[in-house]
Amino acid sequence: MRRHDDKGSEPDERPTGATTGTPGLAVELRGVRRRYGRGTGAVNALTDVNLALPRGTFTAIMGPSGSGKSTFLQCAAGLDRPTAGSVHLGGTEITGMSENELTELRRSRLGFVFQAFNLLPSLTVEQNVLLPMRLAGARQDRHRAAAMLAQVGLADKARRRPAELSGGQQQRVAVARALVTSPDVIFADEPTGALDTGTAAEILALLRQGVDALGATVVMVTHDPAAAAWADRALFLADGTFAGGVEHGTATQIAARMAALGTPTARAGVSVGAAA
Amino acid sequence: MMRPNGLARAAVRAKPASFAGTFIALAMAALIVAACGILLETGLRASVPPERYASAPVVVAADQNEYVVTGSGEDREEEAVPLPDTARVDVALATKVAAAPGVAAAVPDLTFPVRTEDGSLTAHGWGSHVVTGAELASGDAPSTGEVVLDAAAAHQAEVAVGDTVTLQAATGQHAFRVAGLADAGPTDAGHDGDPASGVAWFADAQAPALAGHAGKADAIAVLAERGSDPDDLAGAVRKAVTGSGAQVQVGDDRGAVEQPGLGYAKAALFGIGGSFGGIAAIVAVLTAAGTVALSASQRAREFALLRAVGATPRQIRRAVASEALLVAPLAGVVGCLPGIGLAHWWFGQLQDRGVIPEAVRMHVTVFPLLAAVVLALLTALGAGFVAGRRPAKIKPGQALREASMERLRPGTIRTVLGVVALVGGAVVTGVSASSSGDAAAGAALGVVMLFMLAVGLLGPLVARLCVGLLGLPMRGAGATASLAAANSRTNSRRLASAITPITLGMAFASTLVFMHTSENHAADEQLRAGITADHVVTHPAGLPVDAATRALATPGVRTAVGVLDTQVLVPIGSGEFKSLQGAATQGVTGSGAELAQVEDLDVREGSLDRLGTGRIAIDKTLASSAKVGVGDRLPLYLPDGTEARPEVVAVYGRGLGLATVTMDRASLAGHVTSPFDSTLLVRGGSERSLAALGEVTDASGYATEQSLDAKAGSWSNRMMAAVLGGFSAVAAMNTLVMTVIDRRRELGALRLVGATRLQVLRMLRWEGLLVAAIGVALGTAIAAATLIPMMRGTIGERPYVPPLLYGAFTAAGVGLALLAVTLPARAALRRWS
Repeated sequence: MRRHDDKGSEPDERPTGATTGTPGLAVELRGVRRRYGRGTGAVNALTDVNLALPRGTFTAIMGPSGSGKSTFLQCAAGLDRPTAGSVHLGGTEITGMSENELTELRRSRLGFVFQAFNLLPSLTVEQNVLLPMRLAGARQDRHRAAAMLAQVGLADKARRRPAELSGGQQQRVAVARALVTSPDVIFADEPTGALDTGTAAEILALLRQGVDALGATVVMVTHDPAAAAWADRALFLADGTFAGGVEHGTATQIAARMAALGTPTARAGVSVGAAA
Repeated sequence: MMRPNGLARAAVRAKPASFAGTFIALAMAALIVAACGILLETGLRASVPPERYASAPVVVAADQNEYVVTGSGEDREEEAVPLPDTARVDVALATKVAAAPGVAAAVPDLTFPVRTEDGSLTAHGWGSHVVTGAELASGDAPSTGEVVLDAAAAHQAEVAVGDTVTLQAATGQHAFRVAGLADAGPTDAGHDGDPASGVAWFADAQAPALAGHAGKADAIAVLAERGSDPDDLAGAVRKAVTGSGAQVQVGDDRGAVEQPGLGYAKAALFGIGGSFGGIAAIVAVLTAAGTVALSASQRAREFALLRAVGATPRQIRRAVASEALLVAPLAGVVGCLPGIGLAHWWFGQLQDRGVIPEAVRMHVTVFPLLAAVVLALLTALGAGFVAGRRPAKIKPGQALREASMERLRPGTIRTVLGVVALVGGAVVTGVSASSSGDAAAGAALGVVMLFMLAVGLLGPLVARLCVGLLGLPMRGAGATASLAAANSRTNSRRLASAITPITLGMAFASTLVFMHTSENHAADEQLRAGITADHVVTHPAGLPVDAATRALATPGVRTAVGVLDTQVLVPIGSGEFKSLQGAATQGVTGSGAELAQVEDLDVREGSLDRLGTGRIAIDKTLASSAKVGVGDRLPLYLPDGTEARPEVVAVYGRGLGLATVTMDRASLAGHVTSPFDSTLLVRGGSERSLAALGEVTDASGYATEQSLDAKAGSWSNRMMAAVLGGFSAVAAMNTLVMTVIDRRRELGALRLVGATRLQVLRMLRWEGLLVAAIGVALGTAIAAATLIPMMRGTIGERPYVPPLLYGAFTAAGVGLALLAVTLPARAALRRWS
């Protein structure tokens, strides 16, 4: 695991002045800030975020509510534009990209799983899984969809509509869709938030399998220590910036660390940047 | 790229009910366009096949229109205004026409009324029998001083061949010898004529004078020599009449000469199909666009998801547009069918009221229907693209965040445009307040449209303001009411889209209906105050020419004034706004002083003493529209199109109830078809002594001969109000149902939190009440801003609003909103209870 302590400007090989990402890193954030609103009513959701995640890792981003987890995910995934700083995915800087270019990226190199409402209610399960390909105008590979559905254990539900599936089954379809394009990074925003422990474990196992067997990189935002225990590393966000992490922790350790994070004294004097 | 269309198709197929709202809105737009289009096309093609002149291939007649010319050179436009009465041709022209090659005979044709002792007959010159097919049954053709009657007339007068019969014509009462009896042709008894009323024929030399138009005929019917080509004949006749101003008509145009009402009918159909149709179409299109936008905004989460998963903005825009487009063709077709029904019913009503002659048929062709469907498609496409802009443009992260709650600040462009429309409306209100007459009426329409536009654009802001005002008392009215207030405040966009149709319906319906009630009320008041005569004498066949003299001879009668009701055309306005306005006119026998005894016109300037030949008195509204005062000359056209420039000697205030123009009877003689007075106003005398002249009533029995314009106009106003009101009602219900159905989850959550079914329903009813209250209030405000200056300009008073009618409108709005909110809520809650 490599750490990246630099913030702000760094030496640049390219004469154009654009920052380059470090190859081998799936996700890289440098000095990212995100502010909402103007003037006195402004909210600083992310104050100074620096992060480097290597390929083939499963990272859980944790923090109390209001810490900026969802905002972080959206900035990292190109769903939102940060007020300052840069974001690199798979070595490519996405911060300056146009909407169309970002869309291209989302279709082919990223996957998403949200807490709820992942599927279009008017399409069948199979059509939902193939949605990114459909939007790209590429041929819809039904074999691949069938394979993905089989991998998540829903091969027989291909022709059903989402309304006919349970919450857990819908999440599994969402994971299948996220995996179907063999993405560089899968972003999951509270994927198990609405599920019971048993079903949640199934979903997390699928994500784990994606990392181990298919070499995907997963960035999961969660507040559940049990879910975070599935990850290689759990990083803690507090007040818009990272404040430490736990490697290969158990649910109890993670929970304890989270509780400690809740007290003001624990947060004072913490170094900026991802830390073990 | 085919993919987004596939998404749209899937969306529509999976949940067709969610597109029902869009479907209904587009279908209604198609309905209105189809109905108005059919009426417009019928007006364009309206023609009546000739009946009376069927056997004459060519007819020479005067131009029955007067023209308003605006612009010059390239932009020169001529608008035809039908004359109030028939314009006539010189009889001398017949000789010239008869000399043309191919002409077998040129027959001057006249139709005019004559009176018997207590009835009337339709009279013609005997010459026209060759055209109409009347045949002598016994006796001879009439010479001067003689008459030929048909069986019904002879029976009515109880005379036979060789007897003398006394008849009243324009020249007075004369005795005629019955020269023969004839069988009338099918058209001799007149258009709406009762065949049993009788026909008379006079000698050709005498007929024009008896009709009151010496030397003139209604038309010259040309009979062709055997074997002559109709077109060649027409050309030859045209050459013969060049320079006389007469027109040569062939084919169905001959029917237009027979039926003077055709011009009015066409004008009425253009007015409804064109002007009203245009406004209604704009309203329908904007409402449908709003519904499409609402539907798109309700699915914001889905579009946000699509964006997150990788749909480009362009794909989103196409998806939204395609969804609307998929629904549009069927909606357009479905809307056409009731549209045809509406046009049919409306047309029938216009025929029943005499605006359109019975002989005119309604044409339903494919063009208006095609236009309706195409408009539905274009509206769907346009609205879809505009509605798709926001979900396409914003960042997916923002979209996912916003989807649960509405964004607070409306777009800048929208706010700016809304403020501009508001200011524009206020400015035009100021302009219409200082102008008067027709200019004010024209500005009124602009005011309503501008304010409606402002309401549409500034909707959410206005809604939030109103809820803020009304929310305070609501908060104290209990949990359900305060919840309703809170819901409405935060979801002001949704509220605005529900308020807009109600405001629209209220504004248009109120403006149209109360304009009519105000004018009616003012007219009635003026009428009651204006007739100071003791007795009013009328007769269904018209009063004899010497009625006034005979009345004066009756003991006890101090003053007797005969009144002939007709219309003149007055040019008003200048430049681009020039027009010819029809003005109700009364021609009075007797002097101005005598008139003052039986009518109180409320003279404001000048005096009636000088009323006479070439000197008239006019109403103050006409004075300001035409910009003339006492001492000026007013150019006008008498009923048959003759130009005149009389001097204005008085301006009075009761023109709406009595007549806009008062002139002496003698000036109108020869320029109207019927020489018999409509009414006799008498001061003094007794009912019994006057009974010999006709029906005698007191002042309340006086009825102004309302011109066909005014009668049909007031009914049309109500009709248009009904169409726009009905449309708004359906649109309002549509929107409200859509919003309630979309909140199913929210309502379910309320139930889970602990609200009883009744509480949830009550909350929704409060919201519905709020929507109705704000909509009605805004609509009333717009109508008031429009009507007050307009009424001040046209009738000089405040608008008269019957409280019962206004209450009915308000109750309808409230009832509609409550119904539209309660029914879907009950259905939605049934699942949860």
